[in-house]
Amino acid sequence: MTGSAYHVRPVQAVGRWWEEWAGHAGQIAQLVWSTFVALLRLQVSFREFVRQMYVMGVQSIPIVMVTAVLSGIVTSQQGGYQFTSTIPLYVLGSVTVTSIVLELGPVLTAVVLVGRVGARITAELGTMVVSEQIDAYHSLGRDPVVVLGAPRILAGLLVMPLLVGLANAVGMFSGMVAADLSLGLSYETFFYGARLFWHSWDLLYSLMKAMVFGFAIPVIAIHMGFRTTGGAAGVGRTTTSSVMFQTLTVLILDAMFPPLFLQ
Amino acid sequence: MSSAAPPQRARPSRRSRPSGGGAASVIRFRNTHKAFGHPVLAGVDLEVEPGEMFALFGPSGTGKSVLLKTTIGLVVPDRGDVEVDGRSVYFGENGSLARVRRQVGYVFQHAALFDSMDVYQNVQMGLPPDRLRRMSRAETARAVWEALERVNLEPDAVLSLLPAELSGGMKKRAGIARAIVGRPSILLWDEPTTGLDPVNTAAVERLITDLSKDLRVTSMIVTHDVEGALWMCDRVAMLEGGRIRFCGTPEAFRTDGDPVVRAFVDRAAAEAALDVVETA
Repeated sequence: MTGSAYHVRPVQAVGRWWEEWAGHAGQIAQLVWSTFVALLRLQVSFREFVRQMYVMGVQSIPIVMVTAVLSGIVTSQQGGYQFTSTIPLYVLGSVTVTSIVLELGPVLTAVVLVGRVGARITAELGTMVVSEQIDAYHSLGRDPVVVLGAPRILAGLLVMPLLVGLANAVGMFSGMVAADLSLGLSYETFFYGARLFWHSWDLLYSLMKAMVFGFAIPVIAIHMGFRTTGGAAGVGRTTTSSVMFQTLTVLILDAMFPPLFLQ
Repeated sequence: MSSAAPPQRARPSRRSRPSGGGAASVIRFRNTHKAFGHPVLAGVDLEVEPGEMFALFGPSGTGKSVLLKTTIGLVVPDRGDVEVDGRSVYFGENGSLARVRRQVGYVFQHAALFDSMDVYQNVQMGLPPDRLRRMSRAETARAVWEALERVNLEPDAVLSLLPAELSGGMKKRAGIARAIVGRPSILLWDEPTTGLDPVNTAAVERLITDLSKDLRVTSMIVTHDVEGALWMCDRVAMLEGGRIRFCGTPEAFRTDGDPVVRAFVDRAAAEAALDVVETA
């Protein structure tokens, strides 16, 4: 290796990395734009949209509920552990409700959906790519983004706030029951504490997060699915990358919310 | 263009027109280039004439399927162009690719049936969207029924089956039905007999010949089955090193003196003989 090549190699690597990311960004923008146009032109299949609502929403209810119950119990228990000395116990109601509504409800539901729905979308579309089904759509004059992508994005956008609303309610209820059973905090006292620091904006904030996550998860999953190459191994590789990108995106978006909306 | 590349060898068709000839060709590849890291197509010039059955051979990985896919924009050439019915696919007016796709039926190597749809829905997808919107439910059902009958599938038995419930041969036929239901004027066949046993291979080859005659379509076939294609087709071409090494009649292909073509013909004959022995 020559001296100049040694110095150029890192620059080339950075260039390739940026090129890769620019490619991702451009393709995601194209996907979102095509979906937006398809929605405006009413080209999205209503039947497929309803099917995706069912797959993403109804079929996710059990796992979302289990997650919400457990997160409510854990939040309430840990809060109780911390508040036993100096802080009045009724504050636990506020801490539990606020933690669930602002953070745990939306984020844990999103992470559950990444694993259950996002991975499935990428694997499904990736398999369609490697088995030439996506090419078949093109050859038949159909745009796969309109037929397969848009219904999933629209369904994610609408289903996620409903799931987060459910997770919030279930999480608060399980936290309240856990506080009663383990700390002897009555429902009335729990509610008193919850109401004391409650802002209606918190619920809107929670649902806004849900909508953003509900949009980002299918968009990344679809984008990664369409980029799949290399047979069955390629589908596995892309699905893993997709889950990683979706989880990172959810956490990064989550970190952007407080400075933007909780000031 | 690499100076080491072999010269293009054009042979007269047994129909009428020599390759590289006039404007009446249905499909015309003009200096088509495509690279995937390394060059795959390095300036392909080729013409397919109206109504003919044309086969494209070549060793594995030489870009036969890539060339076929450039016809309908499934692979976009880096350089050069493809014309279908005299219209440029890539440099024509807006919507030219969509128009081309409406007039072309594409049969995929492994059928590429949609997993989540039954056979009826799969074949129905072959109808152009604008036409499908105008058709009544009965008309659509009749078109699907006729297409399935044309490919020798029993509509009653297969309409409600999912692709996973079909045999390899049935999948191929359903894929062909989807390609022909929209009454295309051009059929592109990507390895139509790959993965089939000799009996099904012969049946699909007969089907390709019959369909091409009955529907009066132009067929371009990419295949490894050299013997079958020489039997079926009016003209054949061989792709090698990213360019057309031979283009002419099956008879000329069999007797060509080019050592590369000879080696390919001999290898294909040996493989065919081996197939016969294995089947026996």
